Amino acid sequence: MKIIVLNCGSSSIKYQLFEMPSKAVLAKGLVDKIGLKGSLIKHKRTDGVEAKLEGEILDHQAGIQFLLGILVSEKYGSIKNIEEIDAVGHRVVHAGEKFSGSVFITEEVIDALEECVDLAPLHNPPNLKGIYAMKELLPEVPQVGVFDTAFHQTMPPKAYLYGIPYSLYEKYKIRRYGFHGTSHKYVSRRACEILGLDYDQQKIITCHLGNGASMAAISNGKSVDTSMGMTPIEGLIMGTRCGDLDVGALLYIADKEETSIQNTSTLVNKFSGMIGISGVSSDMRDIEIAAENGNERAQVAMEMYQYRVRKYIGAYAAAMGGVDVIVFAGGIGENDTITRTKSLDGLEFLGVDVDREKSLKSRGKEEVISTAESRVKVIVVPTDEELMIAADTYEIVETIVDSQRY
Amino acid sequence: MSETLADFSLGKRMQAKGIIQKVGVIGCGAVGQEITRAVSQYGIDVVFLDLDDERIELIYKQLDVQLDEVINHWGLTPGEKRAILSRIKGTTDYADLADCDIVIESISSRKRGTSIEIRKEIFQKVEQVVRPDAIISSNIATLMISDLSTVLEHPERAIGIHFILPVHKSHVIEVVRGIGSSEEAYQQVIKFAGMINKKIIRVNESPGNIVTRMLVTTINEACEILMEGVASVVDIDTAMKESVGHIYGPFEMADRIGLDKVLKYMDNLYQEFGDKKFKPSPIIKRLVRANYYGRINGKGFYNYKDGKAVDQTVTCAVIK
Repeated sequence: MKIIVLNCGSSSIKYQLFEMPSKAVLAKGLVDKIGLKGSLIKHKRTDGVEAKLEGEILDHQAGIQFLLGILVSEKYGSIKNIEEIDAVGHRVVHAGEKFSGSVFITEEVIDALEECVDLAPLHNPPNLKGIYAMKELLPEVPQVGVFDTAFHQTMPPKAYLYGIPYSLYEKYKIRRYGFHGTSHKYVSRRACEILGLDYDQQKIITCHLGNGASMAAISNGKSVDTSMGMTPIEGLIMGTRCGDLDVGALLYIADKEETSIQNTSTLVNKFSGMIGISGVSSDMRDIEIAAENGNERAQVAMEMYQYRVRKYIGAYAAAMGGVDVIVFAGGIGENDTITRTKSLDGLEFLGVDVDREKSLKSRGKEEVISTAESRVKVIVVPTDEELMIAADTYEIVETIVDSQRY
Repeated sequence: MSETLADFSLGKRMQAKGIIQKVGVIGCGAVGQEITRAVSQYGIDVVFLDLDDERIELIYKQLDVQLDEVINHWGLTPGEKRAILSRIKGTTDYADLADCDIVIESISSRKRGTSIEIRKEIFQKVEQVVRPDAIISSNIATLMISDLSTVLEHPERAIGIHFILPVHKSHVIEVVRGIGSSEEAYQQVIKFAGMINKKIIRVNESPGNIVTRMLVTTINEACEILMEGVASVVDIDTAMKESVGHIYGPFEMADRIGLDKVLKYMDNLYQEFGDKKFKPSPIIKRLVRANYYGRINGKGFYNYKDGKAVDQTVTCAVIK
């Protein structure tokens, strides 16, 4: 079964063509600068053939039309005609409280997602554009939505409610939703596969540390808490986002600096986090170099980052009554050996015994970084959200095909 | 020959008419600069045309300072500022407007007397260089787009766009269809408004549209209240801000627009409607005569220091 996975951003589309169930990637690429000047598609076939094509891409539909055109082209293509595509998997950021798993996209599902636009005004509209475009271009092909929020829908009310008037939850559904669900689910499952553990019997803490970062507490196969909230601002300190912040402090800042809601949003989303503290960069690699060269603000930024991760590990261990596995994923989790290793400092009391030498060397691959004796297993699992979307899509479409067969 | 994307389209449907990629702004004074920034911020290229190279250098500098000010208030990141500036080009040559999708005339209306002839001349010059389907527009408050478009060979492409000040804060623009404006041109302007995140107020052509007409009468009434000795400049402004929820009081607003410009609006509207309510208040006339133009030169209804109002200049008549 050939499945195309789409991740539509506001002006870009990431895509991958999978052969399932073998998980083989046939081609992947990026449609960039949609609706802007200098729009282009970068395409790469598995055998190494690459293309960078420029031209006017007016909207998401035009972008998808071009990428399908490339996929069936003689020169760069992987398939003969678009009828070979059996299913489409879409990444959708926010599904509110509507969906706790991936779903076959119907008119009702689209309506439900339209209702969630308010909750993710930056992300959901482009996701929906991708769905609409595919519906028009490939009307007969089943489409599946895979949601960033879905995995965390198993959280209990004590974890997802905020300490504000309950009526606000009822009125606007203000609560913790959490994000990176596809990644948390994939890396936690994969970790158990590698370690030979029963996924449904473990207490797992997953750390997805990328430019955006979040952690999740997964108990007996279910997400029971996560650090991002109603929006991706809450929780860990990120590249440019502040993470946990006293709302009183924010009100004080808004009052003193006379900032509008829009500018306050820019302040916590783009000026804060590692770039705000260090003044150097939002990129951990630059900050580490600055810290090594004696930049005190870079040093304190790194300490804050590690401390926040450590604090959440402690909190989630307490929330679950212990921890069996800690998983690191995302650009920083997979490659930033110093941050990852130092985040685990002082956790011996929990039963974490890190093989420091190994942890300081392991980059970008699946590898256990705790000692053989460590009671808590610590493991690095590179995340693969696209594959997870393809897998969910495959599973759902198979079920539909089966049900039609019998 | 190198390949382009066009070689790979599935061609299942016709592409929608082109997006707006480039906008021309003619006259880049205070208002032109605000328009330039607002358009460029949304990823559209802007070519501004002004009188000479010296002016253009100055405008670049002013835009730079203005964007830094936005950064200081957490409204932009330095990276976003660089991107905005990279999309802005200044010129003195009309030929550089050739590939603009929309050209907005926004010359200063400060000079005494009517500016309609100068604007007509600009319209003609623009039409000579742009594509036949490009929109030619004017940021006009009290003049009529139908008057300006009479000089065009294709008057159907003329649409009035009135930006509300401050452009980055207001969420609306007034879009004025002239007598001859075509539906196609109007739809392009609606698309443009959407791209720069503004709601459209549809206006059937009338001097002063909605905003200027309401503003001018409010300012006149505020002057009446002041002259009668009912309340001070500060108190009238405070009352209107706190009670009706205006961002600026009538005097603050007048100072922001520029008293000379306000006077001109009033004259135009009075001439058009003949109604006394538009007749310029004597205070405004006196202030303008004394070169009190508002924020632009540091004194109007208020005195300004570093761009901030420090005290009021006009005191009211009070019986002791």
